[in-house]
Amino acid sequence: MATEPQRFNPDLTRRRFLQGTAFAGVAAFLAACTSGAPESNPPASISIPTPPPATPTPAPASPTPVPSPTGPLKFANWPAYIDLTGKAYDTGEYTKGSSPTIEQFKKAIGVDVDYVEAIEDNKTFYAKIQPQLQAGTPTGWDLIVITDWLAAKVISKGWAEAIDHGNVPNAVNNLQDSLKNQVWDKNNDFHFPWQSGMTGIGFNTKVLASAKIAEPKSLKDLYAIQSSKVSFLTESRDTFGLGLLKLGKSADPSSPTILDDLQAVHDDIKPLVEKGLIFADNSYLKNFAAKKTWAAMVWSGDLASSGTEGDTFKVPEEGVMIWTDNMVIPKGAVNKYTAELMINFVYDPKIAAQIEDYVYYVCPVKGADVEIKKLDPGAESNPLIFPTADIVAKYHNFQFLTDDAEAKLDELYLDLTGG
Amino acid sequence: MTRASVAATPPGAWRRRLFALGPYLLLAPGLLWLVYFFIWPAVQMFLMSISSGTLDTGFRVTGTLKPYTDALTKFSTQWGNSLLYGAISTSLDFLIGFPVAYTIAFRGGRYKNLLLFLVIAPFFTSFLIRTISWQILLGDEGPVLAFLKHTIGVIPVDFSILYSPVAVIAGLTYNFLPFMILPLYVALEKIDIRTLEAAGDLYANAWQTFRRVTFPLALPGVFAGTILTFIPTMGDYVNAELLGSPKTRMIGNVIQGRFLQSTDYPTASALSFVLMAGILIAVLIYARALGTEQLTG
Repeated sequence: MATEPQRFNPDLTRRRFLQGTAFAGVAAFLAACTSGAPESNPPASISIPTPPPATPTPAPASPTPVPSPTGPLKFANWPAYIDLTGKAYDTGEYTKGSSPTIEQFKKAIGVDVDYVEAIEDNKTFYAKIQPQLQAGTPTGWDLIVITDWLAAKVISKGWAEAIDHGNVPNAVNNLQDSLKNQVWDKNNDFHFPWQSGMTGIGFNTKVLASAKIAEPKSLKDLYAIQSSKVSFLTESRDTFGLGLLKLGKSADPSSPTILDDLQAVHDDIKPLVEKGLIFADNSYLKNFAAKKTWAAMVWSGDLASSGTEGDTFKVPEEGVMIWTDNMVIPKGAVNKYTAELMINFVYDPKIAAQIEDYVYYVCPVKGADVEIKKLDPGAESNPLIFPTADIVAKYHNFQFLTDDAEAKLDELYLDLTGG
Repeated sequence: MTRASVAATPPGAWRRRLFALGPYLLLAPGLLWLVYFFIWPAVQMFLMSISSGTLDTGFRVTGTLKPYTDALTKFSTQWGNSLLYGAISTSLDFLIGFPVAYTIAFRGGRYKNLLLFLVIAPFFTSFLIRTISWQILLGDEGPVLAFLKHTIGVIPVDFSILYSPVAVIAGLTYNFLPFMILPLYVALEKIDIRTLEAAGDLYANAWQTFRRVTFPLALPGVFAGTILTFIPTMGDYVNAELLGSPKTRMIGNVIQGRFLQSTDYPTASALSFVLMAGILIAVLIYARALGTEQLTG
């Protein structure tokens, strides 16, 4: 960890939550208000398979000979989620020309890219594009990056374009095996991962030592630490995912008792809230430094890019939650072929390593570890970027909830956080 | 032809007509603004508050009252917190703000403008940054507590303020203080100094002068200041979010959660309406209690 470059501001990761969403949410509400009467009958061309998750049959590959790329490619992504240089390196804010990957793609393909850090929160972004998808009109985006549970939802509703595997050979060949075979899109007909991240336990070893607290090895240990010195996560799926693992329950959403399980997690955490547990986004890094928080549920990427000595990510004995943000081409994308070229481009191990060297999340591309050695020696053996097999064995997903279960999760989570 | 028709209306008549329309034309931008950005959204929000559905299935106006019953019954803790924190921080703002406004108005002399500038100076920094700074100020090892704990040693080492109601109230009090000071200052500044002299001539002592002359004359400022402070503190969610814990959440946090987390727009809209109605009623009662004729006179 010592060789890692210290990011100017470790808070500027893609999961910064509060500031942006609070205001973006108003826009989503307005969008919902002004979208007019909801479509009562979706157009016949949209198939909504029941029960979800299901994989709609991909459209048969069209026999068109070599399409030509069109542009500009409208690419929506999260803040600070691609390699940035110059001033943007520090601010974590993309400006035109600041990302070598985008510039190299433009040069290689000869098409302009309109890359926008338009996604600060899955729900808010979904609220913005949902009316168009429902109405069967283009969303204005050619490529979007959304977390697996939302990707599953969009795909199951038939709102994603099938990706022509002939156009994305890099992606087909280089996708990490552990990310293949998702129940909601078994053959990657509709999605390819952009980055993954683990949700586990985080702490600062020095702070713990000075407080004479043993380092938590399991979620049970974490729950046992004085609650007013612990924080859980502001993302409901992350907190409840680990909550399920702590109770020894499956985080696998297909389990039929999921509603009761969610309730059990809530009842397990509620007493901790009474004793002063708080919910934090990546402000936990600040709280570690201020000795306000001894241990917390954390995202691996934050700990990987934190330059503070002693900041540690621990894979809990019970298991670790893995989430993936995926590239999806929304239905009606105008520049679908260019979007496929982009997917193919970022699955080139060289490009993937270049992106990884900035974002420090779990890399979905095979061979990027070899390439990153040239850019950032030591990063190739960082288990937070290239997890080892024994970590991969502990992966759990929290992917797909029925509408009922999702409403229940929101309700329980809001009750815990007091909102 | 056109020349003839133009000649039919003398230029003076146009001017007069325009003059008569003047007030309405001047009002038009403001009215349009209100219609488009206040009345229209309010109507939309009202319709949303009597709708049912989800984001995925779409919301439909059904005339249901469930959002309102939910809004009124489910969140008693948060309503209570809002009222309590709002009332306490408004009172604190008044207690802190009145002496400040008084001093600036009557003793400010040539430093008046500078002092007023200092009152609003914090507003040059973003609201969020100011609130986040309080996290540092009130931190367990922050400048205040570290000093009290280690340098003087008057409080126990594990004493903590951050994420408690005290922190939330402190943040609210600080953030909205200028809204109290400025109206108070304006009201106090307007007081004719001769009325105070007259009170003295009539054998009133300093306290009697304050109680029977200065304070009543400052009432419009007190009214405006408390309203301007109380309304935003009641609805605030940033302070409770950043400085509080799940136990100190206010109604603004509930509205935020319904909008962003559960995308339960109907309940969020109903909550907003209940909050607006509640504040309106509170203001009316307050105005009645304080005496409206005094405020306008």
